[in-house]
Amino acid sequence: MNERILVVDDEESLRLSLKFKLKSAGFDVDVAADGEEALEKLKAKPADAVLLDINMPRMSGIEALTIIRQKYPQTETIMLTGFADFSTAIECLKIGAKDYLVKPVDTTELVTRLRSLVRSRSSERALQEVHQEYTGLISEDLIEPLKKIQTMLDQASKLAVDADKDRKKLISNARELTDKMEAKLKLLVEFSKRAATIGTPGGAELSPTQLAEQLKGIRKGTTK
Amino acid sequence: MPLKKEPTEIRYLYKFKFDDGTEKNFDVVLNSTTLELIRDDPNPKPGWTRLKYSQCENCPLPGTVEYCPVAVSLAKLVESFHDAASYESAAVTVETAQRTYFKKTTLQKGLSAIIGIYMSTSDCPVMDRLRPMTRFHLPFANSIETFFRSVSSYLTAQFLLMRQGHQPDWEMKHLQGIYKAVNLVNKGMTTRLLKATEKDANVNAVVILHSFGDGINYFIESGLSELEPMFDVFLKEAAALENSADVNGPAKTHLSQ
Repeated sequence: MNERILVVDDEESLRLSLKFKLKSAGFDVDVAADGEEALEKLKAKPADAVLLDINMPRMSGIEALTIIRQKYPQTETIMLTGFADFSTAIECLKIGAKDYLVKPVDTTELVTRLRSLVRSRSSERALQEVHQEYTGLISEDLIEPLKKIQTMLDQASKLAVDADKDRKKLISNARELTDKMEAKLKLLVEFSKRAATIGTPGGAELSPTQLAEQLKGIRKGTTK
Repeated sequence: MPLKKEPTEIRYLYKFKFDDGTEKNFDVVLNSTTLELIRDDPNPKPGWTRLKYSQCENCPLPGTVEYCPVAVSLAKLVESFHDAASYESAAVTVETAQRTYFKKTTLQKGLSAIIGIYMSTSDCPVMDRLRPMTRFHLPFANSIETFFRSVSSYLTAQFLLMRQGHQPDWEMKHLQGIYKAVNLVNKGMTTRLLKATEKDANVNAVVILHSFGDGINYFIESGLSELEPMFDVFLKEAAALENSADVNGPAKTHLSQ
């Protein structure tokens, strides 16, 4: 899926030329004529990055930036201005804009900056996903079944001497869970060995997205 | 009865009326044959109009030229709006001999239209290529209208070249190069204007012109395809003629009949 960029400028020709350029650079592009429309568009469909003009009617770029940072902290913002104003640039960066470009924007430079911005953002997102899957595997797939096994063993120990059938059933269930845990732990050990070689000569070449996919596979039992 | 003699001048009278009641008028006068701007230079000329002040990186003018022709042509307009904001609203009227145009718009949009005429008619060797478009100037044009006028003007030039025995560029391969050069001038001009003005109206007006140049390549590659349905009658006729040629041998077009 292409990264989604929202271009916000009150001037139609600027919106169109940026849309043309960014689309041909492979981005999925939407446009808005002012801050209010930008917020409506973001509400309907989030964007990876917003290119935001500073001087616009109805709602200024700085006002829009403030709201975007509050409501959509995952969305990065690059400010555009026709007039290089150092204090405004500082203000925008303080509010949370990632960059500040003076128009006419060199589109090659803009594409480079956007790529690096959304790439680092998607790596960040993928790493968060790896972390989430790993934590999920440990807590939901290992610790929770372990607690269940403990409960089963407790229940088995409290059963009457002649309740052999129930005891056997509990032990069999506990055994089944330990088998599943063992299988997942073995896969996790293999996964950790592979992950440890990333970045070493001849090591595994796995992106954060691939790592997250492997963890998902271990959890679902689709990875053997 | 003798034909009515064409006037020797083309005039575009731009009137900017603001919410506070103030009004500013600019009369752009062109030679109707050469489309060259009949200049009304400021005296003295401001320092930022000197050629060397912030010369465009592709400027072909020799060092003996003291002032940038584009900057001088723009000087009175630019100084008049030096402290105006781009999104300020204005009621802009443009009077020509044939008709009057009116639009409530942003100042940057109004300024962009008039700056476009000044820039392409002020004798800059790079901007000269856009001069024929000023004969068919369309105030407040949107992007698609400007792209279309630009492509039409360029293809007309190619037709004239072909008629005179030269090699035409029907694929418009060189049009992008023209706009690349034009955009270096637009960029150079924004650098000058940033130093000459306190607010962004003038600069953003040139930025709008720059954006047309930036989008032209994509328009040729993709935008023109979006216009195909409008030319359906030509496309269907050509397809029908080709089909009948397949059945009956070479077809005659209505042009060759």
